[in-house]
Amino acid sequence: MAAPCAEMEPAAAPRSPGAGELVCARGRNRKAVLCQRCRSRVLLPGAATFARRELFLPSMKKKTTALLASNSPDGDMLQDHWLVDDMFSFENIGFTKDVGNVKFLICADCEIGPIGWHCLDDKKSFYIALDRVSHE
Amino acid sequence: MEPGSGLQRRGGAGREFAAGGSPALSGPQSRRRKQPPRPADFKLQVIIIGSRGVGKTSLMERFTDDTFCEACKSTVGVDFKIKTVELRGKKIRLQIWDTAGQERFNSITSAYYRSAKGIILVYDITKKETFEDLPKWMKMIDKYASEDAELLLVGNKLDCEVDREITRQQGEKFAQQITGMRFCEASAKDNFNVDEIFLKLVDDILKKMPLDIMRNELSNSILSLQPEPEIPPELPPPRPHVRCC
Repeated sequence: MAAPCAEMEPAAAPRSPGAGELVCARGRNRKAVLCQRCRSRVLLPGAATFARRELFLPSMKKKTTALLASNSPDGDMLQDHWLVDDMFSFENIGFTKDVGNVKFLICADCEIGPIGWHCLDDKKSFYIALDRVSHE
Repeated sequence: MEPGSGLQRRGGAGREFAAGGSPALSGPQSRRRKQPPRPADFKLQVIIIGSRGVGKTSLMERFTDDTFCEACKSTVGVDFKIKTVELRGKKIRLQIWDTAGQERFNSITSAYYRSAKGIILVYDITKKETFEDLPKWMKMIDKYASEDAELLLVGNKLDCEVDREITRQQGEKFAQQITGMRFCEASAKDNFNVDEIFLKLVDDILKKMPLDIMRNELSNSILSLQPEPEIPPELPPPRPHVRCC
């Protein structure tokens, strides 16, 4: 289901509408990253770098779709992410149990998600999808 | 990134954590980033254990019956969380592991216990058998946990007072038998005392910890907590019997 843990594209201009103003000149997040639903603080400003990589995240709202159903099309292929190399860079974040070699990232407080992606093969990459969080 | 590289010894911070102390200053040696957000001062691992159905998972969550991602929750499940709290002017990152689904006493891998600085042992005040299980849990703690891990006993489901089977005094008495164990009652459903539980535990951990140990407490690896053989090759020395009831 998810893209293989291969190379990552270098930072590039975000494709999400309005995402450009979220990235500072040094490629970092200009604003704090918050949960869209409960405003739980995920990342402080400047804590992450912008990264583009195609990652599939299951839909946030569907109640019954199993993340485990690897052929389930119910989700989004997302391009624009905030990337950190240390899980302790997060202010608050939740990790799901393993789905294959992937852990999905969810809000630590209200557990909405997935908002991000982590592959167990790459211990230094934790992605948060820009489209699945708020910025403030 | 080296594990713990975000942590720096604070100049002149000493080992005192005076309330309202001045905020930590960024050391000159912050090589990681030029202008990083203030890194966490400490990283601590906390595990939540207890018999099935006592509400361990609820203690880790804020909204127990109101979650969007049912798929995340019931199909895959939450593995662990990182939460940030501020206490005594320090910013602490907690890595909280819920052991739900591993309620058989011997099924929680020793790695969970070994690396935990705080252990929250939960029972259900409305289910006597979960209280009676506590000595068995203590045996596991004695066997695997670090001797200096802080222990907090939590009588959960305070919202079900009418069905109470275990008095507050019984819980207190159990905790008193164990060196350094704290006790409180809580309701994860009402979120009563839940945040306080974590703060209390962190406070106790901080009070006990010398600064130099704190810097490199946690590895950055999830894999280090993957299941391992039932009997680990090397066991830490058992805790002194004084802890065991």
